[in-house]
Amino acid sequence: MTDFREIYHDGVVKRLVQFSIIWAVVGMLVGVWIAAELIWPGLDLGQFWLSFGRLRPLHTNGIIFGFGVSALMATAFYSVQRTSNVPLFMPRLAWICCYGWQVVVLAGGLSLLAGWTSTKEYAELEWPFDIAITILWVCFAVVFFGTIATRRIKPIYVSNWFYGALIIVIAMLHIVNNLALPVSLNKSYSIYAGAQDAVVQWWYGHNAVGFLLTGGFLGMLYYFLPKQANQPIWSYRLSVISFWAFTYTYIWAGPHHLHYSSVPEWVQSLAMVMSLILLAPSWATMINGIMTVSKAWRKLRVDPAMKFIVLALAFYGLATFEGPMMAIRSVNIVSHFTDWTIGHVHSGALGWNAMITYGTFYFMVPRMMGRELYSVRLANIHFWMALAGTMLYIIAMWGAGISQGLLWLSVDGIGELSYSFNDVMASMVPYYGLRLIAGIIFLIGTILMAYNLFRTMWGRHTVSVSPPDIVDEIHGTAHMPEPEPDFDGSTGREVPA
Amino acid sequence: MLVAVLHAPGTVFKEIAAGNTRVIGAVQRLTFLFILMPPIFSWIGSTYFGWRLGSNDPLYFDTTARVIISFFYADALILGYISTVLIARWMSKTYGGGKVATEKLFALFTVVVAPLCVASASHLYPQVFFNVLILIPAVMWSMTLLYRGLPIVMNIPPERGMLMSSSLVGWLLVAFVSLLGISAALWTYGFGPSLGV
Repeated sequence: MTDFREIYHDGVVKRLVQFSIIWAVVGMLVGVWIAAELIWPGLDLGQFWLSFGRLRPLHTNGIIFGFGVSALMATAFYSVQRTSNVPLFMPRLAWICCYGWQVVVLAGGLSLLAGWTSTKEYAELEWPFDIAITILWVCFAVVFFGTIATRRIKPIYVSNWFYGALIIVIAMLHIVNNLALPVSLNKSYSIYAGAQDAVVQWWYGHNAVGFLLTGGFLGMLYYFLPKQANQPIWSYRLSVISFWAFTYTYIWAGPHHLHYSSVPEWVQSLAMVMSLILLAPSWATMINGIMTVSKAWRKLRVDPAMKFIVLALAFYGLATFEGPMMAIRSVNIVSHFTDWTIGHVHSGALGWNAMITYGTFYFMVPRMMGRELYSVRLANIHFWMALAGTMLYIIAMWGAGISQGLLWLSVDGIGELSYSFNDVMASMVPYYGLRLIAGIIFLIGTILMAYNLFRTMWGRHTVSVSPPDIVDEIHGTAHMPEPEPDFDGSTGREVPA
Repeated sequence: MLVAVLHAPGTVFKEIAAGNTRVIGAVQRLTFLFILMPPIFSWIGSTYFGWRLGSNDPLYFDTTARVIISFFYADALILGYISTVLIARWMSKTYGGGKVATEKLFALFTVVVAPLCVASASHLYPQVFFNVLILIPAVMWSMTLLYRGLPIVMNIPPERGMLMSSSLVGWLLVAFVSLLGISAALWTYGFGPSLGV
C-alpha cells in the first residue's frame, strides 16, 4: 500500500516548464533576428557578437537545449512519477539538474556570442561546457532511472522507454563526439580528423535529432496523448515494436548528411537505405497516435491542447517522410545545401516539436496548478498562428530550396556554372521575407502562450498529488498512465486503466 | 457551377451531402477542367516566358521536355486526386462517416481543389516566387474548404471532421513533398532542366 505522506515533486516540473517557455521565446526571437539579417545584413550593427555566424548557433542551441531539453526534463519528471507511482528519486538532485542546466545554457549561449566554438554543428559549445553537460546529464539519468528502479508498478510504461533511450543515447553521442584536446579555456581540437571527424559529427548530429528531437518527444507523446485523449494507446504492442525498430534503425542513418563527399560510397548507400527503412517505425508511431486521438474527438470541443497534438502528428508524418526522401542520393543532390533542408528541419521543429510541447504544456500546467487555463481563447488564437506560421515557413523554404537547387546545378554550354553564388543568394530575398513573416507569426503565438501560461501559474504553488493506492502493485497495467487528480480536485479515476 | 463552387461552396457542400445528383454531376464535370488547368498553364508559361528561378536568365526547354513535364504534372494531379478520394473513403469508417458514396467524395474534393486550380493561372508566368505568393492564399483557402466541407459531406460532427481533415492534410503534405522529391530525382536523371550532374 502507498504511503500517502508521499507527494509527487511537481515544483521542479513547474520551474522547468517556466524555463522552457522563456528559452522558447528567446530562441525564436534570435531566429527571427537572423532571418531578418539574411535580408538586411546591416542588422548586425557592425558587432561581431550580433553577426549571423554567432547568432545562428545561439538560436539552435537555445531552442534545442534550452526550450527542448528543459521541456523534456519537465515532462520526463512529471510522467515517470505517475507511471511508476512513486515520487522522484533524489528530488534535490532533480533541482540541481534543473538550475544547473539553465546556467549551462545561459553561460554557453554567452560563450557562443563571445566566439567560443568547436565549430561542430549542434555541438558548438567548448569543452568546459561539454564537461558540465555530462555531469548534469548523469544527474538527470540518476533521478530518472532511480525513480524507475523504485517503481511500484512492474511493467515500465512505453514513454519511459523513449525517455530512457534519450538519456542513454544522448550521453553516448555527446561524449564520443566531443572528445577533444583542449589547448586553452576556450579552444579545443577534436581528436578525430578529416572524413572520420565528419562521420562522427553526423553520427552525433543526426542521432541528436533522432533520440532527442524525435525519441524524447515521442516519450512525451506516449504519456500525454492518452492522458489528453482519455484513451489507452490504440496498440501498445505496436508502440513497443516501433520503439525497438526506431532505436535499431536510427543510429545508422547519420552519413546521409555526407552524400557526395569523401566518405566511402558504401557508407552513404547504407545510410540511405537505413533512412528509408526508418520510415516504417516512424509511421507506425504516427498511425498509433492518430488512431488513439480519433476516438477522443469530443475533447476537441473543450480542450485546445488536443488541436496541437493532432497537428503535431500530421507534421510528424510529413517530417519523417520528407527526411528519408531527402536521404535518397538522387534527391539529395538537388536538395542538399539549399533552404529545402531548412524548411524540412522547421517542419519538424515547429510542426512537431513545438506543437507537441505546446499541447503538453496546455494540458499539464492547469492540472499542476489546480486551476483552469487563464484563457482558452488565447490558446485557440495561438493554435491558428502556429499553424499559419509553420505552413508559411515550409512553403517559402520549399520554393527557395527548389530554386537554389536548380540554379546551383545549372551549367552553360561549355560546362561552367550559369549563376554565381551571389546572384543566387540575391534572388532568395523575397523568400526570406516570407520566412521572416512566418517566424514573426510563430513567435507572437509563442508569446501569447507564455502570457497565458504564466497568468495560469501566477501566485500559485503546484497542487499536492500523492501516488494512487495501488491494490495490485506487481501486475499494474503498463497500457495506460495512472490517473492523477484533475484540477477540480476529483480523483481522476474515471480514466480507464 | 464554376461560380457556385468558388462563390458559395457551403451551399454546394450541402447539396452534395443531400445526394443531389444534378449538382454532383455538374461538379464532377468540372473535375476534368480543373485537372487540366495547371499543366496547360504550365505549358504555356514555360513556352513563352521560360522558368524564372530568380536569376536574370529564364530557363527554356525544348518541346520534348515540355511534353514530358506537362504529362508528368497531369499524371501526378490525377493520381493525387484519385488517391486522396480513396484514402478519405478508407478513413471514413475510423472517423464515423460510415460508407460515403464515392461520387460524393469526388465532388467534395473537386470543390476543395477549385481555388488551387484557378490560382494555377499563376503558372502562365512561371516565376517561382510569384507562384509561391499566389498559391499560398489558394492553399489556405483550399484547406479552409476541406475543414469546412468534409464534416458536411461526411455527415459527421465538426470535431471529427477536424480530425479527419487534419489526417488528410498530413497525407496531402506528404503527397506534395513526394512530388518535389520525384521531380528532383527526374531532373537528376536528365528529364527537364539540364543540370550539371
